[in-house]
Amino acid sequence: MRKEYDTFVEKLSDLTEKREVELTIRDLTPGQHKYESRYVRAILSNSIDQLQGGDVLWIRFALGFLHPKPWAIKITEELGEYQP
Amino acid sequence: MAFKDNRDFIEGLSKTGDVVSIKQEIDWNLEMGAIVRKANEKREAAPFFEKVKGYPDGFRIFGAPLATERRLAVSMGLSPDSTELLRNIQEEYERRVRSRIKPVVVSKAPCKENVLMGDEVDLFMFPAPMVHEGDGGRYLGTWHMVITRDLGSDWVNWGMYRLMVYNRRILASICESYTHLHAIKAKYENQKKPMPVAIAIGADPISSFAAATQLGIGRSEADFASALRQEPVELVKCETNDLLVPAHAEIILEGELVQGTKIAEGPFGEYTGYRSNPRERQIAYRINAITYRNNPILTMSCMGMPVDDSAIVVGLTTQVAIKRHLQRHGVPVTDVYVPPETGSYLVIVGVKPSYCNTASVIANAIFSTSRATFKLIIVDADVDVFDLNQVLHALATKCHPVRGIRVSDREASTQLTPFLSSEEKKWRKGASVAFDCTWPFEWSKESEVPLRISFDEAYPEEVKRKVIQNWANYGFRR
Repeated sequence: MRKEYDTFVEKLSDLTEKREVELTIRDLTPGQHKYESRYVRAILSNSIDQLQGGDVLWIRFALGFLHPKPWAIKITEELGEYQP
Repeated sequence: MAFKDNRDFIEGLSKTGDVVSIKQEIDWNLEMGAIVRKANEKREAAPFFEKVKGYPDGFRIFGAPLATERRLAVSMGLSPDSTELLRNIQEEYERRVRSRIKPVVVSKAPCKENVLMGDEVDLFMFPAPMVHEGDGGRYLGTWHMVITRDLGSDWVNWGMYRLMVYNRRILASICESYTHLHAIKAKYENQKKPMPVAIAIGADPISSFAAATQLGIGRSEADFASALRQEPVELVKCETNDLLVPAHAEIILEGELVQGTKIAEGPFGEYTGYRSNPRERQIAYRINAITYRNNPILTMSCMGMPVDDSAIVVGLTTQVAIKRHLQRHGVPVTDVYVPPETGSYLVIVGVKPSYCNTASVIANAIFSTSRATFKLIIVDADVDVFDLNQVLHALATKCHPVRGIRVSDREASTQLTPFLSSEEKKWRKGASVAFDCTWPFEWSKESEVPLRISFDEAYPEEVKRKVIQNWANYGFRR
């Protein structure tokens, strides 16, 4: 079962594919801790099928608008609570 | 007698029909926000959610505590059924805030019934709502108070700055440069000292009202709340710092400012009726202790298209503050109204001009001190500022399209102002416009000022009296 996360960007081109990037994500797992934020290193792909073992990453723009097509995310390292 | 806490206030509202207790399970994730929003837009009773999905029985949420003039009246111990409710509330408010009553410190308090320290802290233990779809997080602070102490003086500030749950221990918040919080925070940062903070959620209705107002630098909202309640607010010391918090609040969060960095916050649907400022890195607090009452009642405001709690409270306090400000400057002001439907962006001033360009003097006085009032309508004293039909008529008929409009594009502003461009928001650059709907002072009253034609003004007293006495006899029903 894939987990789901989301992240906020100003524009889609802020996201880089197929190499490690650092970003703040929100955990969308249902339950009391839904929407908790973490700062992680991860590999992203704009297609869920092209990132083996990847989870779902929803994209929201800066004012909260949801991009209709989800990306994929594979978290490689937990970097702490927040972006330094 | 003032309400000592929200539990008493909810009881009071139930007697006047101004609260609805919802016993069926409601989801904190958007469903609750949608209910409060719809209640606001229909000017309905306050929703009191008694069962929240995924949370223990007893963890409740009180929505939109002061989002109608009726509830504000009840919170002040006034009748909500008065025919001149707005005027009555304003007069009573002006009378009470002239008095001086100090809060008292107590040693035992209901807010200490449960105490969690350090690693026991988990901000998700409370059902913080996801208020609107697309918000940047769950907001634990939408109707609350952030308590900080000035460095180098005894001044303690209560303010209402939105609080997003970032993770189990951290709350992110906005802190505009014109706020008292910003002024206090800057002192701690300059001296590289940790800034303690306390957050009270679910204090008595008038204390929360006080936190939503902006008094002058150095003025205590705790004193102000005591005066408005006509009884001292009871305060108790925090567990981990020396700050004093309302003893009857439902939840107290104790912590300190996260230094040296900022944290992603927002976006959030705001009192302006829009979600207009983007997700940005903002200040944050690390919470080190939580104390709370048994069966705690979280408070929640669902901001958006007015009218909501902020519009009611800020409208009232702004109009009284502007009236007193103008009076201190010798302006012959008769009344001021900030219609809650305008999110406090529009101010209507009634005046008896006694010199030329009175409207310009009023515009200078207001725009030079405000960062959140952008539009001003000035009307003669014979226009009732509380009657928007009369104001609209004056705007349409008395304001000269060229001479009557004064525009400035060099005002200060806030990042939440919807009509500003991204660049203007970034630099907090604002603009203002004043509509002068008064007759020019130099016009002759006998030969130039148009005569208003209404029933009250266009007929002799004996004719009016006769018409009124015979009204039903003519066949009219109302």
